[in-house]
Amino acid sequence: MLILPAIDIFGGKCVRLKQGDFNQSKTYNEDPLIVAQEFKKKGAEFIHIVDLEGAKEKRPMNKEIILNIAKTINLPIQVGGGIRSYEDAKAYLDNGITRIIVSSMATRSPNEFKRIIKEFGSSRIVFSLDIRDGKFAISGWTESSEKSVTEIIEFIKNAGIKIVVVTDTAKDGMLAGPNFEIAQKIMDEGFETIVAGGVSSIKDVLRLKKMGLRNVIIGKALYEGLDLKEVIYKANDMNKNNLVKRIIPCLDVKDGRVVKGIYFKNLKDAGDPVELGKFYSDSGADELIFLDITATKEDRKTFQDLVGRIAKEINIPFTVGGGIKSITDMKELLAIGADKVSIGSAAVKNPNLVKEASQYFGAQCIVVSVDAKKKNDSWEIYIKGGSEATGIDAISFAKEMGELGAGELLVNSLDRDGTKAGFDLELLNAICNAVNIPVIASSGAGSAEDFVEVFQKTNVDAGLAASIFHNGTVAISDLKKVLKENNIPVR
Amino acid sequence: MKIAIIDYKAGNTASIKNAVENLGFSCIITNNPEEILKADGVIFPGQGRAGQAMKNLKEMGIDKILSRITKPFLGICLGMQLLADSSEEDNTKCLSIVGGKCIKFPAELKTPQIGWNKVNFIQPSPITEEIKNGSYFYFANSYYIEVENKYIVGKTDYGINFSSIIQKDNYFAIQFHPEKSGTVGSQLLNNFCKLC
Repeated sequence: MLILPAIDIFGGKCVRLKQGDFNQSKTYNEDPLIVAQEFKKKGAEFIHIVDLEGAKEKRPMNKEIILNIAKTINLPIQVGGGIRSYEDAKAYLDNGITRIIVSSMATRSPNEFKRIIKEFGSSRIVFSLDIRDGKFAISGWTESSEKSVTEIIEFIKNAGIKIVVVTDTAKDGMLAGPNFEIAQKIMDEGFETIVAGGVSSIKDVLRLKKMGLRNVIIGKALYEGLDLKEVIYKANDMNKNNLVKRIIPCLDVKDGRVVKGIYFKNLKDAGDPVELGKFYSDSGADELIFLDITATKEDRKTFQDLVGRIAKEINIPFTVGGGIKSITDMKELLAIGADKVSIGSAAVKNPNLVKEASQYFGAQCIVVSVDAKKKNDSWEIYIKGGSEATGIDAISFAKEMGELGAGELLVNSLDRDGTKAGFDLELLNAICNAVNIPVIASSGAGSAEDFVEVFQKTNVDAGLAASIFHNGTVAISDLKKVLKENNIPVR
Repeated sequence: MKIAIIDYKAGNTASIKNAVENLGFSCIITNNPEEILKADGVIFPGQGRAGQAMKNLKEMGIDKILSRITKPFLGICLGMQLLADSSEEDNTKCLSIVGGKCIKFPAELKTPQIGWNKVNFIQPSPITEEIKNGSYFYFANSYYIEVENKYIVGKTDYGINFSSIIQKDNYFAIQFHPEKSGTVGSQLLNNFCKLC
């Protein structure tokens, strides 16, 4: 869960207001940069900054201070307050600010509003939905718009807004908890929802988390004694556990032999699956995956015999996949000794198969393969070994699979597969944030450092690679050593 | 000397058989109550869901005989959970061999738990001999069993601290998969087979 600590700036200083009332302000620090640095030290991963003075004056008033914070602390930052024109937006977004937050602009200058979304993309323009007495409030909450909340939701949806900060102004600065109902409503509308206003305790954060909310802004409470470090720890604690991070060599199998294709093509022979699997198991691999990459076209018997041999020789868990289409296919493979089955194209074409399989065999042996490729601001699901686009949104698909009973997701980034450029952290974070089942990172590993990075920067449970293990670039024992040195739990 | 591996259509019996045979012990896969009662030891594996598993056991007439076993008995994963009085999974009435109940991990935790976790020994037991305290074993479960403290041999922390090895007289049970837990897993399985 992402906790965004808030810094409100007025007259160059870090202040807090009560219910947006400029007459009830309190200065907490003369220098907002020091506050930002404190937040970073306590583990903040994203900072929320409001130019309060800008909101009041209807133009950015503390831009230089904010840009300097962005430059100095090297954390993603979102900024709101007084951004009323394309030029205002550009001045932030081209100078180190990750996202800007706009509100009044949407109703005052709808064309300008649509233009910035189009130009900078919906991942960088956040809409601030401030609700005062059930109405949409604007201009630093000093005025109410004529538009109802329903109307404004319709309007921003059409304009392409995906991320919304929702604040009940009556709750802001009151330390009495946020408006949970409104947060739920905005989330139900399909927005990536960031809750703000009144969040005052770990209890509030956990309740929001339970509701399925993934982003929370905390302001005043942090200045009045709530410890950010503890909030971040507790909010994410539940995803933490004592499990070691798993290292999984993947063996692509064709006609009973191991191969690894770059972009699934140009196959190169790399040995006998059983021998290689045993070698990995002895060198400390935590699990193995065998994918029958020709299964869609050719006889599956060879592969089944192989699975039987693997089960006899290897005493760590292994997953098999490739061309699995039915409960019968799964039953055969599990009966010969496979521990889990990985379902790919069949899960996309027939999601109900996942539900059925999970009910029949238990979630723990159902792995769903998520083959995703970036498309604009999101990711699209591909099938048939990455050769066919489906138009399905990868994040929604991942969520759906979790709900249907998948036990794990094996996430392949088609943008990274075979590139050795490192794991696709953005995709993995998006998926980890969307589901509450184990996630296996796949595609892009080129070095031990790539594994360190994926375990440090995402919440994945396992890292998978093929060629770098098969050709000896990375030895599993060395990899485990590097992970240990970086305080990543390994077996 | 023969160990019976109970096949009630809920589990990976092939892997258990492989593991036991690789250790040099002989075993049979069976669902015949007489064969089970006659064996020198019984392994009760399990994957899948409690409701269906209990239904299968009843149909095969195995549910009634499991409490009568006097030889060493080892429940694995679902085979451990079914030893409780009841399970939250499908609201199932279970075998009542070790008492207690089987509970789902809280919703905040990634469920199922899949992966290698530590087992911390609480009290000695013949099946943990020569195994280092705090060793890693492979888990794949969404539920865990809650039993009386006196039966708990080992515990595991997954956000909550649950019983991962229990023993009541000749009944041993483990939440992890020894057949998939590398050399420590083989050691544990070997300890059990030696008792048979």
